[in-house]
Amino acid sequence: MNRALLLLIWGWMVLWSVHSGRLDLLMNSVFHGLVGATGIALIVAGLLLLRRQRRPLERLRISWIASTGIAVLMVLAPPAPSFSDLASNRPQGIPQAPQLAFVLPPEQRSLTEWVRLLRSQPDPELVNGNPVNISGFVWRQNNAPPLIARLTVRCCLADATPAGLAVAWPETSEPKANQWLAIRGHMAVQLRNGNPMVVVVPTTIEEIERPERPLEP
Amino acid sequence: MEKLATAWAIFQGLLLEAIPFLLLGVAIAGLARWLVPQKAWIGKLPRNPLLAPISGALMGLALPACECGNVPVARRLIASGAPMGTAFGFLFAAPVLNPIVLASTWAAFPDQPWLLIGRPLGAFFLAVLLSVLLVQLPDSQLLEAALLEERRMSQPLASRGLLERNSGLIGTPLPIEQPRSAQRERIGDVIDQSSREFLDLLALLVLGCIIAALVQTWIPRSWLLAVGSAPTASILALMALAVVVSVCSSVDAFLALGFAAQVTPGALMSFLLLGPVVDLKLVGLFTVLMRPRAIALTAVAASLGVLLIGQWVNLWQL
Repeated sequence: MNRALLLLIWGWMVLWSVHSGRLDLLMNSVFHGLVGATGIALIVAGLLLLRRQRRPLERLRISWIASTGIAVLMVLAPPAPSFSDLASNRPQGIPQAPQLAFVLPPEQRSLTEWVRLLRSQPDPELVNGNPVNISGFVWRQNNAPPLIARLTVRCCLADATPAGLAVAWPETSEPKANQWLAIRGHMAVQLRNGNPMVVVVPTTIEEIERPERPLEP
Repeated sequence: MEKLATAWAIFQGLLLEAIPFLLLGVAIAGLARWLVPQKAWIGKLPRNPLLAPISGALMGLALPACECGNVPVARRLIASGAPMGTAFGFLFAAPVLNPIVLASTWAAFPDQPWLLIGRPLGAFFLAVLLSVLLVQLPDSQLLEAALLEERRMSQPLASRGLLERNSGLIGTPLPIEQPRSAQRERIGDVIDQSSREFLDLLALLVLGCIIAALVQTWIPRSWLLAVGSAPTASILALMALAVVVSVCSSVDAFLALGFAAQVTPGALMSFLLLGPVVDLKLVGLFTVLMRPRAIALTAVAASLGVLLIGQWVNLWQL
């Protein structure tokens, strides 16, 4: 084992992360190209070093081997974060849309767009009765009914910020944390803790697979 | 177990996002060594205690990288014999004073001109302050042992005390003209050296990301933001948040946008100034530059400096 091999392992791990699509789960898509280019650069550097291989082989530092072991572990153990847990650790307060956003018809708005809209026009009556067609994960909170939510990310999971909507869950439904759901229904205004609040009233709730790109910018 | 899985994912996100910038920094440092082997420009850098950090801070405008990428470049500057103030000025200012970070700050806060001017100005003054402070320490107490040796190799013997020398030569050697081709290091040697540097720094980055991910997972962020409206407490809370989050400086303004409305302006400024200088992810990387006491001094001085700037901003804006 030599230094070139360590670089090749790191390059392979980085390229694998891009190829396997796990970056969609870890960071904003603007960084994906940069990460991919880094993987290629590491592979090229490893191959160049391999050509200069010395005899006898140098002794590798423990820190290099240990950190490369973690790179291998990253390939073997893919990330499986609990979005609900992550969201519970963060305050709500999603930033504005990165690009100029036009107000879409209600049934075409994503969950994040709904949250942004409700923040910008807090009068709940303005959206009362609007049709809703959204998807997200179930965010279970302590001492509060579960929300349907999405995580917005500008950099990576470290800065993930939750955007959640209240749902008038049917009595028969018991949403589990991290379960991905597609909800069709309409917006309604209900009194919660004495305050009027916008709530999604579902007509259909369908369990879905986690989307390929679960994070939103 | 669920928390551990979340920490593992945060760790991977932090690491994969930081590696490109680390590699970029190492590549720039290697390229600089290859292109300018005779320290042609390093010799021209000002050595004045105040001008040196100022020139270093302004050099950041040429390097579009976040804080991870600056460490190898600063290390190369120090090893090449650049004035210490220049290297530290660069290290602390470049994560903010670079085109990408300035553009992202503007994109996140286009309606807050005071912040667009205040952030680079604050970063500049903080970098100069830290550099002026750190260069007061003797090299042997400031620099990491291997870096100190490397730096001494690049300095004339006359600049070192007799007890510090490892050879019997005394005085400044006569300059020997070498053909230009002989002066330039071979590209293969540069890659060889840079790969060592990259693996060294990468191991420390892995450690920093592990710590940052664990702390982020187990400390609810709402605790830190709970004191949003209290002037001093909000500054301290956001400083702690900047250290814990360890997000790279090119996107921290967007993160700050998420809670800007909940905190005081001084706290917001403190978050944007302290994170690029000191965070959990960086602590490991700093060990290739400085001794632990110097790192502690940097952390304390940066925190005090940022606290004062934050207080001043609150007095002015509230």
